Amino acid sequence: MAEVEHDGGYGGRCPPYSFLDESLADGYTNLVMPANLFQFASVTKTYGHVRALDDLSLTVPTGAIGLLGPNGSGKTTMIRTLLGLIPVDRGSGEVLGMDFRHRQLDIRRDVGFAPEDECLFPHVQGVEFVAYAGELVGMSGGDALQRAHEVLDYVGLGEARYRKVESYSTGMKQRLKLASAIVHDPQLVILDEPTNGMDPAGRNEVLELARDLAHNKGINLLFSSHILPDVEAVCDYVVVLGRGKLLAQGAIQELKQTHEQSFDVRLKSDSAAFTQHLAKMGCVAEPRGELLRVRIPADKSPQCLWEAAAAERVQIRHLLPQRSTLEEVFLNAVERP
Amino acid sequence: MPIFDQGYQHWSGHLAGHAWRWLAITRRGVRTALQSWPVRLALVLSWIPALVLTFVLCMWGLVERQSETIATLRPFLMGMLGRPVVAGPLEYRADIWTLCFHYFLAWELWFSMILVLVVGPNLISQDLRYNALPLYFSRPLRRIDYFLGKLGVIVGIIGLALIVPSTIAYIAGLLFSLDITILRDTYRVLLAAVVYGLVIAFSAGLLILALSSISRNSRYISLMWLGIWMITGTVSYILVWVAQEQRLREGHFGRHGWFSEQFLTTEIDFEKTDWRSLISYTGNLQRIEERLLGTNSAWRKLFDIAPPNTRGSLLHRMLYTQHPWYWSAGVLLVLAALSACTLHFTVKSLDRLK
Ligand SMILES: Nc1ncnc2c1ncn2[C@@H]1O[C@H](COP(=O)(O)OP(=O)(O)OP(=O)(O)O)[C@@H](O)[C@H]1O
Ligand SMILES: [Mg+2]
Repeated sequence: MAEVEHDGGYGGRCPPYSFLDESLADGYTNLVMPANLFQFASVTKTYGHVRALDDLSLTVPTGAIGLLGPNGSGKTTMIRTLLGLIPVDRGSGEVLGMDFRHRQLDIRRDVGFAPEDECLFPHVQGVEFVAYAGELVGMSGGDALQRAHEVLDYVGLGEARYRKVESYSTGMKQRLKLASAIVHDPQLVILDEPTNGMDPAGRNEVLELARDLAHNKGINLLFSSHILPDVEAVCDYVVVLGRGKLLAQGAIQELKQTHEQSFDVRLKSDSAAFTQHLAKMGCVAEPRGELLRVRIPADKSPQCLWEAAAAERVQIRHLLPQRSTLEEVFLNAVERP
Repeated sequence: MPIFDQGYQHWSGHLAGHAWRWLAITRRGVRTALQSWPVRLALVLSWIPALVLTFVLCMWGLVERQSETIATLRPFLMGMLGRPVVAGPLEYRADIWTLCFHYFLAWELWFSMILVLVVGPNLISQDLRYNALPLYFSRPLRRIDYFLGKLGVIVGIIGLALIVPSTIAYIAGLLFSLDITILRDTYRVLLAAVVYGLVIAFSAGLLILALSSISRNSRYISLMWLGIWMITGTVSYILVWVAQEQRLREGHFGRHGWFSEQFLTTEIDFEKTDWRSLISYTGNLQRIEERLLGTNSAWRKLFDIAPPNTRGSLLHRMLYTQHPWYWSAGVLLVLAALSACTLHFTVKSLDRLK
């Protein structure tokens, strides 16, 4: 794959998206699935001075999609754009084949969305809440009520269905939002940070539900989160955003491949002699900030690093296998000022 | 064991088009309103005037038929309505129906204000308090659908309190007389009642929605509504009364001026250009009611045949609704426009929520 050749090719100062945009993104979209879930073409959205989405272009296949990015990276803005809830400054795009600038109502009918912040229809029982959500999408009263019972059972709120929703715990409210998002059996479910404020057990339940919907029930999923393990647990494909730009996208399996023959090394002293020694052994070593990234030939083991160090009398203070592209991109996004 | 053992079934039912989406909000809103006991109580009470109206219309049916059943009441009726009315009732049919509906609508206006007070304040403010707007607007629903849906709740409740009972009373009166010409003579009365109900519902509905959207605390909104209803009415009444008293003194009518035909006639003329009644919110609605029903011309017709000693009291009933009706309509329209603007700025789309 393209990224194996490229991943050593950028330094800490060089913006990672510069190569990911061009090679990785295109490579994966062509590779993974035929149909597109949604696509953006040069979408820019600003709030005053803030560029929430910055000339964003991407095409995303169907399936379980993770939307990963630190706080303020534009995840929610992207979701609102998808749903046609906010006008964009520039650019265009489609969701499920519908232009989000013109067919907002059709998109919102075919999509189920659970917003990130706490929001409730006041003073109703759980089952009325979900039924009302269904009616607002166009279900008849009877259908909506019946479906409400079914999906509440599914998300594990069957016992609490006749309780007023104000009395629900945070975790129950998250599951209630999920239930109201799937009540009309949408083609695409968008969950915006569904694990916010939940304890580990509740979090696992929601992740499991999201995973089940996407993998066993054939519903497309867009799962936004700022937690990498959550996305890994639920999704097959990931889109990483940072400050409104696309940092990476691709199948998680491939982005996560560890680099078995590549290591990050930190030495106590000067590295020039060590580098030369490694070169003689057939290894490629490149400085990356304080670290040295060493790629060793397939027929050699990491032992050769220690041998070289001993020969050149340098001390290795830190030796780790190179991180996966996904971790790297994500950590980079989080660390960027 | 996974919690979703119950499984998830796909659903392949039918989804309605977008055009009637507001109806879901209205339906839910009316249902919620009817669950609260103050609303139910107010609704039940608001049906009492309708029962009275039905009874009176049936009685009038007996008068029209010169029925023996009410023979003993004839002297009393002659005293109240005037001899010619009881002697030739068909001629006065439209006027009597008009006046009956006028009294009925005056009561129902009062009940409508009460119902708006108990139903309206929560309509939007509660959604703001519980942050429900993202739930609405992330579904196939425009802001206008949301407003229409909420307005529909007020229209529905006022419909139940005013439009439905007036229609039922009308039909009961019609059936009791078993005379199809009643339809020809009085259909305008029913039309007026229905249109008036809609005017109240839309005007008061927009107003209470606007109020409901400016605060998350529904108590303040109730207070503001009471202010608009009671305080504007009282202020207007006091201003009119002070001016009348002054003219009464200047005209040297003495204490009996209020019964003097001459004084009341000049008052009616004076009120034709008086702005003071415009201050009262319900006064403006009543002006529209007069215009729709034609109450004053019915009074005038009774006035023309009334004995001199009762004419003063008939003139009295024509006061307060003499200014041009379009002044009042203008005031109501300005209020509605202000309300719509308020809604536009307070209920923001998601773009500006944060
Ligand atoms: N309505 C708004 N008004 C002003 N600025 C906004 C608004 N909505 C978003 N922003 C800004 O746009 C940027 C992206 O915000 P967005 O909510 O999309 O990020 P996010 O990735 O969802 O973050 P989080 O993880 O905190 O939810 C942020 O800098 C935010 O401050
Ligand atoms: Mg967000």
